[in-house]
Amino acid sequence: MEPLALTGNYRLAASILVGMAFGFVLVKSDLTWRKTTLNMLLLKDGRLIKTLLFSLAVGATLFFFAFNFEWVHLKIRPGYFWASLIGGIITGLGMAFCCRVPITAIASFASGRLYALWTLIGMLLAVPFVQVISGWLSSSIYNWSEPINTHEPITKYMDVSNPALWISAISLVVLVFVHFTLGGDEE
Amino acid sequence: MKLLTGKWSFYINGTLLALLIVFCLYLFDDTIGMSDGMVVISEYCKTAVEEQMVENPPPLDWQTGFLLGIFIGGLGAAIISGNWKIRFFQEGETGIIAKTVKTIACGVGGGFLVMLGLQLAGDSFLGQWAAAIQLSGGAWVFIISCFVVASGTAIMLERRREGTDEE
Repeated sequence: MEPLALTGNYRLAASILVGMAFGFVLVKSDLTWRKTTLNMLLLKDGRLIKTLLFSLAVGATLFFFAFNFEWVHLKIRPGYFWASLIGGIITGLGMAFCCRVPITAIASFASGRLYALWTLIGMLLAVPFVQVISGWLSSSIYNWSEPINTHEPITKYMDVSNPALWISAISLVVLVFVHFTLGGDEE
Repeated sequence: MKLLTGKWSFYINGTLLALLIVFCLYLFDDTIGMSDGMVVISEYCKTAVEEQMVENPPPLDWQTGFLLGIFIGGLGAAIISGNWKIRFFQEGETGIIAKTVKTIACGVGGGFLVMLGLQLAGDSFLGQWAAAIQLSGGAWVFIISCFVVASGTAIMLERRREGTDEE
């Protein structure tokens, strides 16, 4: 069984519907609210941390089986160590100030938090800035290390060399730790 | 009805997020995320500003359609659960000038840094999350460094704010 790989209007319609589902889940999980995201970063509330850890645990296992049943292909952009590290640090700095990433900024704006528009403006301004410095980036940061995305396909789930198993297990252990230390799912 | 209006537990949200990401890979057979959609919107804004006119709406392809879907879904969920509220300023400041300055500075500055970092790392946050689920080493480096720095910076800013309040 191969991926559907929709094209044309079907692809557009499916992207809108899936986007709607994402928007709905983001609001229901509180990922769109500035205060809950800030409380997660301040380690005051474990609810969002648990949501993210659980999605990693379930997602890694789900992807493993979907990949081995050939329902999905591996679709990742090339990642470079230094670019990912510096990108993560800069994104983290920005997140501490605005408490949003693009997907949550749009859902937050849709929920009436009009101040999320400033975050979206800042994000849109960054795109041409990166285009201006792209020549320098190509000759520096992207040249400092080789791509680190490749990994050997593994067909057996209960195998100690299976990274999906490790990621799921570690995510669940950290989740249990967060649950008993930070709590945060009282409702 | 409470299912739609109430909060959902972390295991429901986490499972749905994971399912949606893998389902997207099945439907589109492409990297998911919204980095390309944001680039299209940014290009559109740049052209509109340069030509000082808005003739046509931005192109609607599957990437920008995804952004539209998130907007509709977020709006629907907020209305259904009674969370749709107009807010012009982020919480935490008193006084209209302080509120305005902080809201704009944190919004534009933070948003700029977030997108700059994401563009450097090569994908949107959702794309990085999807790549982490696909066991991409680069995405894991990104996510761990992002959350460590975000949490550390937020804690330091909070302590500084509490220190200022005590003075």
